[in-house]
Amino acid sequence: MADKIFIKIPSEIRSIKNVSSRILADLEPHGLDDDHIFDIRLCVDEAVRNAIVHGNKSKKRLSVSIAYSIYPDRVEVEVSDEGAGFDYDNLPDPTTEENIMRNSGRGVLIIRKLMDRVEFRAPGNVVRMVKYLK
Amino acid sequence: MTVKTDTKSGLLVCQIEGDIDINSSPDIKKAFDKLISKRSPKIVVNLSGVSYVDSSGLATLVEILKNMRAYGGRIRLSNLSPRVKGLFEITKLDKLFEILQEEEEAVTTFI
Repeated sequence: MADKIFIKIPSEIRSIKNVSSRILADLEPHGLDDDHIFDIRLCVDEAVRNAIVHGNKSKKRLSVSIAYSIYPDRVEVEVSDEGAGFDYDNLPDPTTEENIMRNSGRGVLIIRKLMDRVEFRAPGNVVRMVKYLK
Repeated sequence: MTVKTDTKSGLLVCQIEGDIDINSSPDIKKAFDKLISKRSPKIVVNLSGVSYVDSSGLATLVEILKNMRAYGGRIRLSNLSPRVKGLFEITKLDKLFEILQEEEEAVTTFI
């Protein structure tokens, strides 16, 4: 059983990078290729950003909690916010003609495409992502 | 992140160096707002120096495209790394933007 590591950050944009940097630093001994590093960095950044901006509405007094575990074959990352959640099964498709020019809505699509497993927990303020390392 | 501009064959070429993400997006927008305010008709954006783009960065590029289209301007992207190109494909933005492999091709064929 891998250790679970917990991080708590304030709802500030400048804190986003600290989370992905720390997870990637812990993954360094696994010698990941650049594709894995890119995917994990991007999806963690997207999930934390969503938690700050959409979940906690950028209210600095609210926190984002991150829990991650590194196994020999995978990394699991769970991101939680203090917001009301969202209807994760009925998000507008950002790739359709009517939505393609919109300024937001691509983060969840990117996470779903680049991670190997993605689960949202009702009411939608927790996302759990799994990426296999090989 | 830096945005350098140059003129090649009468066209404006912008070279972005660094990440295009939630932190750098406001600066990128500001740099392009200047060009857009001058109604630059055609801009080639060379992304060879960009190894990381997030959804905020994509949204910023979409906004630049939208603002240019509003006055009939056109934008082309070139020299995308395979990973950044993959991101455009996932989000279908490769259908919205004119994406060319090399800057030279993007400039010389920009009619």
